[in-house]
Amino acid sequence: MKFDPVEPGIYPELIYPAYKSTVKRGPQQPALRIEAPVPTSRNIVAGPHILLPHDTDLTAHGASEPLGEKIVVTGRVVDEDGKPVRNSLVEVWQANSAGRYWHSRDQHAAPLDPNFHGLGKMLTDDDGRYRFVTIKPGPYPWGNHDKAWRPAHIHFSLFGNVYAQRLVTQMYFPSDPLFDYDPIFQSVPDEAARQRLISRFSMEQTVGGEMLGYEFDIVLRGRNATPMGL
Amino acid sequence: MSNASNKITTSQTIGPFSHEAWQWAVDACIPGNLKTTGDTVLVTGNIYDGDGAPINDAQIEAWTPIGAALEPEQMIPGFRRVPSGADGEFSLRVSLPQPAVRGEPLMYVTVFARGLVLHQFTAVFLEDDAGLAESTILNQVPEARRATLLARRTGEGQYHWDIRMQGEAETVFFDYA
Repeated sequence: MKFDPVEPGIYPELIYPAYKSTVKRGPQQPALRIEAPVPTSRNIVAGPHILLPHDTDLTAHGASEPLGEKIVVTGRVVDEDGKPVRNSLVEVWQANSAGRYWHSRDQHAAPLDPNFHGLGKMLTDDDGRYRFVTIKPGPYPWGNHDKAWRPAHIHFSLFGNVYAQRLVTQMYFPSDPLFDYDPIFQSVPDEAARQRLISRFSMEQTVGGEMLGYEFDIVLRGRNATPMGL
Repeated sequence: MSNASNKITTSQTIGPFSHEAWQWAVDACIPGNLKTTGDTVLVTGNIYDGDGAPINDAQIEAWTPIGAALEPEQMIPGFRRVPSGADGEFSLRVSLPQPAVRGEPLMYVTVFARGLVLHQFTAVFLEDDAGLAESTILNQVPEARRATLLARRTGEGQYHWDIRMQGEAETVFFDYA
């Protein structure tokens, strides 16, 4: 597998003053582009033995149903050639419907939901597809600037099929009024790249009488080194 | 050529609230429970921001592709994940590939943190590895910056390696071709 240089604007700006925490944490030197055989040919092996019951149903972790709008989130993970990224570990985490994380450092004055911890993981199938059931997260305030509220989002951590495909990103929901005011979302210069972080409402994935459906496809870096047909 | 459907998904910060979701893999590689058929080394270090202040909410992942063969009974062979502590401290006990490392990284490392909008890839080499001069990776790194990738020996099987996100001693981070 080979990794084309990422076009300017696709990745967020490592130092983006509007997002204050980047100023002292983003590297100042450009990443050094190197040839390294191993990261492009191997990866950790995470098989089904790592999965627990209900890892893909985040609404099934408590004694009863969590509060909020139950949704299904699904999509395909592919590489830059459109080939499925198979049997690959995906982790997700998110705030509850009131916009609060199950995390000791989240002291937002919104209720915790004892029936919703907001943690899940899964492996993609042979078609690169993942699917999980959850609660639509709420927006929440953070300390970055006056009236700083994050758009509702779900965090995704993906391992891919080789080490250099690793990605952590966030999935957003359509038509969120906070997009224009969120420096994390805005730290990606390329408009089209930002739009690709927004999931699509899907009537096809909606489960009648139970939950609305959202689709979010993910493209990891990497191409087959040998062109097709050779 | 690429088209709209296969353009990469961009990165976003891991945020400060990843710990509970990532803990299962931290638990899976607790040093005291490490099942390996090889020798191990302990690498300790701290992660610092541009002011030299510790980063206390980072997540550090290490992968030892050669060492993975020594750990077939581990839940995820060759893989480690640790959060940084209050002083930015972290420690990783990893299998030492045999024979000697010989210019290969001891481990590939990935760094995540709030405010780090794109995770950063780096690699750690042992300063007393006799093969460093022949390292295919180190030889691609400007000589003046190579020291940022070397773990200093502090004792038998013990090394120290810090991560600096900015400044004169900024750790070398990689993009792979």
